Amino acid sequence: MPVRPLNVGVIVKLEPDFSEGNVSYNPDGTLNRAETKNILGPHSAAATLAAFYCKVKYAARVAIGTMGPPIANQALKQAQIISNADELHLYSDRIFAGADTLATAEVLRLGVSRMNNGLGADIVISGHRASDGETGQTGPQTAWKLGYPFIGNVIDFQIDPENRSIHAKRFISLYGFYDVIEEIQAPLPVFISADPSYKPSFDTVSERLSLARNLNEARSKAENFEKYLQVYNSEALGADPRFVGLPGSPTIVYKVEKIPKAKAKRRVEFIDGNDTAQLDMAAEKLLQLMTEAPIK
Amino acid sequence: MEKYDVAVVGGGTSGLTALRQLANLGKQAILLEAGSTTGTKNVSGGILYSKKPKNGRVYNIEDVFGREFIDEAPFERAITQYILHATSKDKLYSIDLTPVHEYQINYAYSVLLSKLVPWLAKEASDMSEKMGGGIISGVHVRSIRWETGSNDTVIETDELEPFRVRAVIAADGTNSELADVTQSRNKFSSEQLYQGVKVVIKLPETILEDRFSITSEEGAAHLFAGDVTMNHIGGGFLYTNRDTISLGAVYHMDSMMENPVEPSRLIDALIRNQFVAEFIKDRVPTRKANQALISKDEEIRQHFMAVKLLKTWNNLRSDYYSRDGIKRLIESGKYKTREEIESRINNLEKELVEKYNCEFGDNYVELEYSARLIPDGKRCRMKTPYYKNVLFVGDAAGRGVFIGPRIEGLNVGIDDAVRAANAVARSLDRNNFDEQYLGSFYTKSVEESPYTRDMKEIDKEYLKIFLDCSKHIPKDIVGSRYGMIFKLMSSSTLRGIAVGFANMLGFDRLLPLVESVDTYVNVPVEIAERLGRHVDSNYIPNTPSLQERIAKLDYDDDSVPHIQVTKPRSEFMQKMVSLCPTRCYSSENGDVILQHEGCIECGTCAYDTLWRHPRGVKGVSYKYG
Ligand SMILES: Cc1cc2nc3c(=O)[nH]c(=O)nc-3n(C[C@H](O)[C@H](O)[C@H](O)COP(=O)(O)OP(=O)(O)OC[C@H]3O[C@@H](n4cnc5c(N)ncnc54)[C@H](O)[C@@H]3O)c2cc1C
Ligand code: SF4
Repeated sequence: MPVRPLNVGVIVKLEPDFSEGNVSYNPDGTLNRAETKNILGPHSAAATLAAFYCKVKYAARVAIGTMGPPIANQALKQAQIISNADELHLYSDRIFAGADTLATAEVLRLGVSRMNNGLGADIVISGHRASDGETGQTGPQTAWKLGYPFIGNVIDFQIDPENRSIHAKRFISLYGFYDVIEEIQAPLPVFISADPSYKPSFDTVSERLSLARNLNEARSKAENFEKYLQVYNSEALGADPRFVGLPGSPTIVYKVEKIPKAKAKRRVEFIDGNDTAQLDMAAEKLLQLMTEAPIK
Repeated sequence: MEKYDVAVVGGGTSGLTALRQLANLGKQAILLEAGSTTGTKNVSGGILYSKKPKNGRVYNIEDVFGREFIDEAPFERAITQYILHATSKDKLYSIDLTPVHEYQINYAYSVLLSKLVPWLAKEASDMSEKMGGGIISGVHVRSIRWETGSNDTVIETDELEPFRVRAVIAADGTNSELADVTQSRNKFSSEQLYQGVKVVIKLPETILEDRFSITSEEGAAHLFAGDVTMNHIGGGFLYTNRDTISLGAVYHMDSMMENPVEPSRLIDALIRNQFVAEFIKDRVPTRKANQALISKDEEIRQHFMAVKLLKTWNNLRSDYYSRDGIKRLIESGKYKTREEIESRINNLEKELVEKYNCEFGDNYVELEYSARLIPDGKRCRMKTPYYKNVLFVGDAAGRGVFIGPRIEGLNVGIDDAVRAANAVARSLDRNNFDEQYLGSFYTKSVEESPYTRDMKEIDKEYLKIFLDCSKHIPKDIVGSRYGMIFKLMSSSTLRGIAVGFANMLGFDRLLPLVESVDTYVNVPVEIAERLGRHVDSNYIPNTPSLQERIAKLDYDDDSVPHIQVTKPRSEFMQKMVSLCPTRCYSSENGDVILQHEGCIECGTCAYDTLWRHPRGVKGVSYKYG
């Protein structure tokens, strides 16, 4: 019997692109979200890379989904270039606004069920957390809602498509440090979050050939990424308005306070490399700073 | 362990041709290339010839890659002029050798391998993928082995899990590690090798065409013999590309060992030849240190401003002197006329001079420095270019043709690669990889190649054309030693007898006589002295220091050295202190020590060291090649 193809779903979070020229501000100095370009956050990129690994190694079908305003397209294109995804999902509706992690998880749960031509996903992958101040709960909550086992901080994994199981390695944090690698075996379907350090490796000829093929395919797909884009509103997802958006959010953000910025202590001094006196001075200063530095 | 039909080791012109030919024949093959991408490790002069010999056939690149090669491949210029210059100081005598160049060719294109090789790679891999094969770059083949009781070969790399193949095509260049591990030939000795050293020089397109009196469809090749080699056997070359010049020289390693001079100094001597200097001259800005008393901040501001303006000036000028560039500028609507662009360039220059301490003057712009060993097929071609089921092609098999001033390695490797691919395909069809069926068949095919004939004997007709081109040179000039030969060669009947006699003697005995300091240096010097014209250049090119040349190259340094010095006191190693083109060797208390970081993998030191290519992706990456 031929092995059932593997379906992978990735849930990503799009973040404002703070690189030069891409940020747009309102007249009052706040971020203009509508105009600012979105990019894939680094954590989501790691998740997307993990999906690419499945694509290269197991010829998986990959769908990428995100909840957000309808301007997220460029970032989905970026995700497609990374992963050679077959479907790009955008879950977008006014009533999703104001969602906390639980209400977001509800939308993503419904999204995952629409993925891969409605077959859903054998593996759902998320990032560790978003870099713009999210709490890292969306992933586990989505897993809980889907009823999938959750494996966090995955740094490496293998799938056994025949026995439909995953063998994963993950970092365990003890005393605030990553100092244990745990190996876990779990049945599919499963939900994993990719550790920010996740990097796939391709060590056999067939994987390298598949890698080259997929990279080429990804580039040409992403040129017409709109062809792969599916936009779902609340109705199309079949969402229950009680569980999404503000009504579905048991937590509310009461107030956001700016963390006062520490005053910069760095000072730049130019030294003329041809002037030995200046060089001596610099060396002395470095030495002094190093002996004073609180490094044991 | 995974298993494939064929492994091709090395993704230069030879390896890629083998891959594509195998795919043309419907065969699966995996090509492994150490460079991060194809085309980053290959160096040539280079003129790529397509040939039509009178007797026998050769496989040309278009036979494998199709008409698309002529229509789409990124070659530089069709070479339509071919001129040899005998030099002595500021005197020069020129001989038009275009008929020699055109002998039995379909065409000859100047090429830069960093552009051509990726094109070939794309074409070859697209086709090969359909057969379940393809190209894997960034992988260094470390070794190959045979398991007992199996004919399959196991390929071991630094990066991937080992895999099995049924046959191997070794296209891994002059310093073939596959030749070393299989011990199928000795390392090439200095007598069998030339050291090629080259710089790529920038020259805007239409300036270049005016200077060499060529149209956009034409190209020029200039060869140099005489004192430009600083008394080494060898010669210089200058080939026009689209908007760059390839300027270099090849030096016989024996004469380099006898009289070691740093390669970068040798190339400087060529650049400073007054005639060459005039060819490569361009308008080049320099910025002087500011003498006025200004603050550091102000000085930095001025520096950045100057850099920005210089970039604009440079880009605009390159476009102005390029056909496509000027079209682009006018179509973009930014400028209406040529004159407008010209006046913008002039204004930029004026601003740079007046406000930013710049000066514009005559100099030249060097883009890349490179070096590589070239095997002289006459002396080192592998007579049986195989070991078990491994077939050697191109430089790896020591197969380069040096005839007169012409270097042919690219086309020879391409011909070999087709023959090897055909032989392997035949074995795959019969599932027979025995030496008699595969290796002997390939050897026979290679022996039949007209290129092999060129490595074995003198071509009478070629010689006649050569002599006709140089008939204005008085016979007595070539000295008492060659006067006799020249006389013999000038009469057609006697020439026939003489060539026949020479071929009987064989190249082995003839070469020391023909390829000597006399022929390569003394005779041209005498010709230039007696018949040459004075050339004056009004500037002396400001050649970069070796450090500056190295600084321009891209490296991905490996923490582990890829070369091990085993005989730190040998005479050979002592000479490497001078002969390494990037001065990786130094001598400390009589021991030669290596600092591998600047290595450009030329192979010069390979003979007496444990020499390997760096691991995949590591080492130097050429931008022009
Ligand atoms: C200065 C100079 C001028 C020349 N002028 C001309 C000319 O005008 N016309 C002409 O026809 N020829 C010329 N030649 C010769 C010509 O350039 C060579 O013959 C030709 O490039 C050889 O091609 P190749 O594919 O056989 O080898 P290479 O181009 O050397 O390719 C070998 C490839 O194998 C890879 N490799 C090596 N070992 C391994 C390994 N273990 N694992 C994986 N990959 C590996 C290398 O990275 C490299 O890409 C010139 C050469 C030089 C140096
Ligand atoms: S170390 Fe050897 S191979 Fe490297 S550049 Fe020097 S001579 Fe060439």
